[in-house]
Amino acid sequence: MITLGKQRSWFEQQLAAGSMQRTGENPQWLKLAREDAIEAATRLPVHNRQHEAWRYTSIEGLLRTSFTSGEQLYQQHQTTVDNLLLPDFDSYRVVLVNGQFNAPLSTCDDLPPGVRLESLRTALDTNPDLLATWFGGIANHSESIFSALNTALINDGFFIHIDDNVELQRPIEVVYLNSGLNISEDQQLMMHPRNLVVLQHGAKATLVERFVGTAPSSYFHNNLTEITLQQNAALKHYRLQDESRDAWHLGSISINQQSHSDYRGVTLAFGGAWARTEYHLDFNHEHASCGLSGLYTVGDKQLTDFHLTVKHRVADCRSREQFKGILYGAGRAVFDGHILVDKDAQRSDAQLSNDNLMLTRNAEVDTKPQLEIYADDVKCSHGTTIGQIDPQQLFYMRSRGIDEATARSMLCQGFAAEIIDKIDLQPLHEHATERLVTSLKRASLPGTGR
Amino acid sequence: MNQMTPNSMLSIRNLTVDVEDKTILQGLNLEIGKGEVHAIMGPNGSGKSTLSHTLSGRDGYQVTGGEALLNGEDLLSLETEERAHKGVFLAMQYPVELPGVNNMTFMRESLNAVRRARGEEELDAVSFIKMVRAKAAEVKLDPKLLKRDVNSGFSGGEKKRNEILQMALLEPQLAILDETDSGLDIDALRIVADGINALRSPDRSIILITHYQRLLDYIEPDFVHVLSAGRIVQSGDKQLALKLEEQGYAWITGEEAA
Repeated sequence: MITLGKQRSWFEQQLAAGSMQRTGENPQWLKLAREDAIEAATRLPVHNRQHEAWRYTSIEGLLRTSFTSGEQLYQQHQTTVDNLLLPDFDSYRVVLVNGQFNAPLSTCDDLPPGVRLESLRTALDTNPDLLATWFGGIANHSESIFSALNTALINDGFFIHIDDNVELQRPIEVVYLNSGLNISEDQQLMMHPRNLVVLQHGAKATLVERFVGTAPSSYFHNNLTEITLQQNAALKHYRLQDESRDAWHLGSISINQQSHSDYRGVTLAFGGAWARTEYHLDFNHEHASCGLSGLYTVGDKQLTDFHLTVKHRVADCRSREQFKGILYGAGRAVFDGHILVDKDAQRSDAQLSNDNLMLTRNAEVDTKPQLEIYADDVKCSHGTTIGQIDPQQLFYMRSRGIDEATARSMLCQGFAAEIIDKIDLQPLHEHATERLVTSLKRASLPGTGR
Repeated sequence: MNQMTPNSMLSIRNLTVDVEDKTILQGLNLEIGKGEVHAIMGPNGSGKSTLSHTLSGRDGYQVTGGEALLNGEDLLSLETEERAHKGVFLAMQYPVELPGVNNMTFMRESLNAVRRARGEEELDAVSFIKMVRAKAAEVKLDPKLLKRDVNSGFSGGEKKRNEILQMALLEPQLAILDETDSGLDIDALRIVADGINALRSPDRSIILITHYQRLLDYIEPDFVHVLSAGRIVQSGDKQLALKLEEQGYAWITGEEAA
C-alpha cells in the first residue's frame, strides 16, 4: 500500500515534469484552465479502492512508476509506419506520435468546406476563439484527478469541427503511434492528448481512433476526448485500443447530446497492461439516441476496465450498451456500467448488457451493471453473464474434423461477432477480426492454463 | 461373426463402457461390413446413444474393456477429430447451435480439415461454394441457411437436413445416424431419408439408431439389431423391425412392456 502522501507527491511530480513541455504562448483562457486543473490535481482525492469507481482497478503500479513528458523525437522508418496503417482505408488521417501531431504522416488536407480537422496546437494558433467556445465544456477536470492531470499537461491532440448540415463522406482516422522507447530505465514516457469533436446541427461524420503500441515498451497514455453533438448531428465513433502490452492506457470520452442527435460507438480493447476506458454520456435534450458496443480480450498480465455513465436527464431518449469480453490466462477485466434515469426522463429506453466468456480458471471479471431510475414510465433493462465454452459445441465441431484449438477460436470469434459486425467500414472490420484472432492465438498457447 | 474379414468396416468386440461410474455397454459385439446398413433399435436406456457417442469419442464415456476397429485400426484411442479424419461421421439427435459461427465457414473449415488430414488439397472459397450449393440442393436445404449461423434458429427438419448436408460433403466411410428421425414430420422424414439413401454406396457403411420402425420404411436396412441392457441381444433382417413394431421389446428383453 502506498501512503496517501506518496500518492499526492506522485501527481505533483508529474505536474512538475510536464510543466516544462507545454505549448508556447497560450491564450489566457487556456492558462486559466491549466491553473485551475493544477489546483484541482493538488486538491482532489487520490483514487484508491475505497472509491467505488476504482474499487477493482488498482493504480498502485502506476503510482510506483516515475514518468516524464520529455518531448521525444520519434524515430521511425516510414516502412514501419506503413505497416501500422490499414491497407485500402481511404480516410482523412491525423497521426499523433507519442501524443504529438506528426504532419508528414498525416493526410488531412483537401477537406471539404465546413470541415475543420487539425491538431490542437494548430487550432490554438489559427482558431483560438472557436476552440475556446468548446474546450472544457463537457469534461470536468474538477472532478477527476486524471482529467485534471490531462488539462494541466495539455500538449497536443486533435480538433474536429463540422459546420451545420455538412455530411463528411470519408471517415476521419486518428492514429496514435505510441512508443516509450529511448527513455531511461527509471523513467517512462507519459502523454496527455486532448481532443475536441464538435458536430454542429445536422452534421454527420465517422471517426476512427486507433491506439497503436509500435514496440513492446511501457508508457502512460492519458487521453481525454470531448464530443458535442448538436441537434440532429450523427457521429459514428470507432475506437480500437491496441496499445503495447506493457503500457498504461487511460481513455476518457465525454459525450454531450442535443435533441435528435445520434451517437454510434464501437470500442475494442486488445492491448495494454493496464487499460481503462470511461464513457460519460449525457442526454441534454429529448429524442437523442446512443448505441455503444464494446469488446475486450484480456490475458496474462492484463487488466482492462470499462466504465460507462449514461445520464438520461430528459425524456424520450434511447441508449443501448452491449459489451462482451473474452478472458484467458490470468487476465482481469472490470465492467461498470451505470445508467441514470432522472425523474423527468419519462419514456426513457435503456438497455445495458455485459457478457463474459472465461477460457481459463485463473481469469477474473468484476462486472457491475447498474440502473438508477427515478422516473416511473421507462423501459429499462440490464444484465450480465459469465460463461465458458460449451463442451457440446466443442464436441460437435471436433466431430466434424475441426481440431480443438481452431474450434475454440471459432467459437470465441462467434461470440465476438455480434460486436465486430457492428463495424461497417470493411478495412477496419478486417483489421479488428485479425487482431481478435491474434489475441485468441495467445489464448491457446500452452501455459495459459485452463 | 467376430472374425475380421476383408469386407469389414467396423468391428466392435466385447465393448464395455461406463458413464458416470455406471456400466452402460456390457460386452457389446457388432460387425459391420462395407456398404452395409445396420439398424440398431432398443428400449430407452439400452445404450444406443452411448454406443454412438463412444464411437465418435465424446468426453465422459469411459471405455473399460473391449475394442472397436475401423478398417482394422483401433478407433477408440483416437481423438474425436482424428476419427472424423478417418471417415467417422455422427449425425446427432440434437444438432448443436453455434451462434456467431457462419454455416458456410463452418462446413468449409470442416471439409478442409478432413481433406488436409487425408493429404488432399484444400478447396478454395469459390469451388467450395459451388460444391456446397449443389449438395444443399440435393438435400433440399434452403441455400439461405448456408449464410446463417450454424443451426441457430433452424427448425428440427432444417437441422437434420443440415446434418445430412455435412455428411454429403465429408463423404464418410462410416456414418452413424443417431435418432435422425426424431422430431421430424412425415414430409421432413422423407426428405432426410432420400438424402441418406442417395449417400448409400458400396464403400460407405451406415448405422441407423432409431426407436421406430417408421424410418426403416424409407431406409431399408440390411440388418436389424436389438440392443438391450448394453448388449446386442437379437439380430435379424428387416422382418425383425416389423416384429418389434408389432410386439414391442418385452419378448426379447424378458421385461414387462412399459
